[in-house]
Amino acid sequence: MAELEVKQKRLNGRGLFWTWSPRSEKEAGESIVRNLLLHWFPAKVTLKSLSWGYSLWLGTITAALFLILGITGVILMFLYVPSVERAYQSIKDIEYVVSFGWFIRAMHRNAAHLMVASAFLHMVRVFLTGAYKNGIGVGQNRPLNWIVGVVLLLITLLLSFTGYLLPWDQLAFWAITVGTNIAKSAPLVGEWIRFILLGGHEIEQNALIRFYVLHCFFLPSAVLILFSYHMWRIRKDGGLACVDNLVLSQKKEKVKDGIKSKTYSLLGLTTGRTVQVEATLLDEEKYTVNSVPFLIRRIGLVMLGTFIFVALISLFINAPLEEPANPNVTPNPAKAPWYFLWLQELVAITTIRIGGFVLNGAFIGGILIPGVLVLLLAIWPYFDKSSNLNTGVWFGKERIRQNIVFLVLCFFVILLIIIGTYMRGPNWEFYFPWEPWPEIPKKF
Amino acid sequence: MEKEKLKKDVIAIYAVAVIGLIVTLIVYVGYFTPEWKMYQSEFKKYVKQKLGEEKAKGIETGIKQIYVKELRRVDRCITCHMGYEWKGLENAPNPFKTHPKEILDKHPVSKYGCTICHGGQGYALNKEEAHGFIEHWEEPLLGKELEDLYRPPDRKVLMQMNCNICHRYDTLTAGADYINYAKKLVKEKGCRACHKINGRGGVIGPDLTYEGDKAPEQFDYARIGGRKSVFAWHVAHFKNPKMVSPESIMPEMGFGSREAIALTLLMLSWKKVHLPPEYYPQSYTALADLPTPEEIEKERQMREGEGAFFVNKGCFVCHSISVFGIESAAKIGPDLSNAVEDVPSRFGKTLENFIKEPTGTMAIVLGSQITLTDEEKATVVQLLTKAYEKYRKQQLTSKH
Repeated sequence: MAELEVKQKRLNGRGLFWTWSPRSEKEAGESIVRNLLLHWFPAKVTLKSLSWGYSLWLGTITAALFLILGITGVILMFLYVPSVERAYQSIKDIEYVVSFGWFIRAMHRNAAHLMVASAFLHMVRVFLTGAYKNGIGVGQNRPLNWIVGVVLLLITLLLSFTGYLLPWDQLAFWAITVGTNIAKSAPLVGEWIRFILLGGHEIEQNALIRFYVLHCFFLPSAVLILFSYHMWRIRKDGGLACVDNLVLSQKKEKVKDGIKSKTYSLLGLTTGRTVQVEATLLDEEKYTVNSVPFLIRRIGLVMLGTFIFVALISLFINAPLEEPANPNVTPNPAKAPWYFLWLQELVAITTIRIGGFVLNGAFIGGILIPGVLVLLLAIWPYFDKSSNLNTGVWFGKERIRQNIVFLVLCFFVILLIIIGTYMRGPNWEFYFPWEPWPEIPKKF
Repeated sequence: MEKEKLKKDVIAIYAVAVIGLIVTLIVYVGYFTPEWKMYQSEFKKYVKQKLGEEKAKGIETGIKQIYVKELRRVDRCITCHMGYEWKGLENAPNPFKTHPKEILDKHPVSKYGCTICHGGQGYALNKEEAHGFIEHWEEPLLGKELEDLYRPPDRKVLMQMNCNICHRYDTLTAGADYINYAKKLVKEKGCRACHKINGRGGVIGPDLTYEGDKAPEQFDYARIGGRKSVFAWHVAHFKNPKMVSPESIMPEMGFGSREAIALTLLMLSWKKVHLPPEYYPQSYTALADLPTPEEIEKERQMREGEGAFFVNKGCFVCHSISVFGIESAAKIGPDLSNAVEDVPSRFGKTLENFIKEPTGTMAIVLGSQITLTDEEKATVVQLLTKAYEKYRKQQLTSKH
């Protein structure tokens, strides 16, 4: 009788919130197993994975920023008009008359910059901890997830870049001019890529609507799909890489203590051992906690913290809006968005003048060097031959040399970005931050 | 890491939430206390005091704007400048003052808005940004602040620049004395000898038809002291063209501040503005910018006289030849009546040689604007020799 009441209650709830009703407990259980969302988080999670110090929670921060961008972005979509005649006006209206418009726009802009930065830092963390390496489980494919991550980083850059054009002011117009001119210098396909991207040879209405559709629909969709896969892969790979490391070190302890660890294949169906089987070797009491509430709560904390941080800085750092776009007047200096400034700087450095002969650096600086770097990044896990003891550890002993090389490259990219952002004045001349630039003339 | 530490997350969440609450509060306080609300409540108080409570009660508050679709302008100035159409606030302090009525009768606010005449940023809702004295806004309010900066000899003149957006082709515009003066100077000084304006004129200097559209970055400020602005550049350039750009062949006209500022305002008003035809004033001279009948008659007389050759070739734009009854409007160059003796003293070569191999400004004029065949060059020498004989006779008779 009591059971029947419970079922009745469930049925009522189901009517509103759950359109599908499982006919048996087995079916209900299967539905959970098959559900992608419920595959994201495990029931139990190691303390190491939860710690601030291992992952720095940079992935979660990036996801939280993407969420903020989605929410503020949808609001902005209701207010923004993607036309060359109206775009600038509509941004002015967002800034001055839309309730909280300036705040939402500032949050969108700041979150966008932060997302580029946090996605990059997330990648740096994964590299330095050797977290793209497989550990001990079967079916692990962390290198694949690393490549997905690299693609996600590239899409993040594209998202930010396409959004840069939308205000249709001088900053937007000339940053996209610089960016697409770099793309043009790619051999054979460069001209074609620029044409496809801009929908013509000029940055005009066609370019604006393309960037708008890419920015608001295609690129976010691509991120959503890849992000879902990225998260699901983490589960398939047995959680964060530090778990593998924990299991390995514990196994050593046990062997030392004379306790035999069992090795067996899963029901004799697959060779090797599954992650789950290895995980049982973990002293659960000592090393793990339940995901609910600990993991969920910490994710909530990081997301809330990210949200509040973005809101807080948006009080002080507002989104810029310069003069309306004017193809006839090039601001001096015209700069690409900051995350592409290292490329612009490279182009400037690799442009060599010998007398009257100018060797344009756009190909070397804008295509070749970044192309090689991205390619190297994607295939790096397949060249990393260090043992799996270096999986999921900060600065693993066998990986010192590659970590140094990686850090030096990152340092140069960041250095070039800083020089490009703060130390390049009119005519791309070098100015120290404390040196004043020549006065920028005005109409009146 | 300890499990106990994880439990501290709860405290952290509360702490972050408190910061969030504070941020929310700050944003809301800002939302409910914008600058314009202060002006509106002050306006209510002022009206109550001056015109009575009844009037004050009728005032509607909130953001107000004039949307002029034809001019693609949204002007929110009236959110603070609420008294612009009120009677009885003629002597009120700004921003409550009534707008002078006569000019609004001809230029209704609903059809023109505010910024097309006054400048400033119509979108904005706070004083600093609305008046436009900020970075990245190129049309500041053409008012007291700017006049304090540039100190024109008379006050309330900068705004006349914008009158000329619609009144561009008028010879005289009521109330725009600086613009009228500048237009007179353009005729008198013969600017069109070298410059194209509204499609008519020479090609020695740059076309000035849309000079006002040039961006600040397109000027060289290396030889300008003080403020680096297009306005300052033009004023300095009119006063002394060679000082501002040494390669310029533009003659120094001896302009004072008044002339230089008037001409600068006129030049800056020459912009491409999206203007539906009905916004141009309906007058007989409108849309034409043609020479007057008197000017045409005078030219006809000169064209039929002894010096017809110089008139037809266009020399008379800059040079008078008084002995032939030719009077130049601009008088940029010297009178050619005594060219036979004047040329050697100026250039150290005979007139014949100078015409064949001119130097300085004339090299450019004869190289591009007025091209002469060898026969015509001979004619020039022949005619000017004749003029010189006449000139000598006149000199002698006047001495006696």
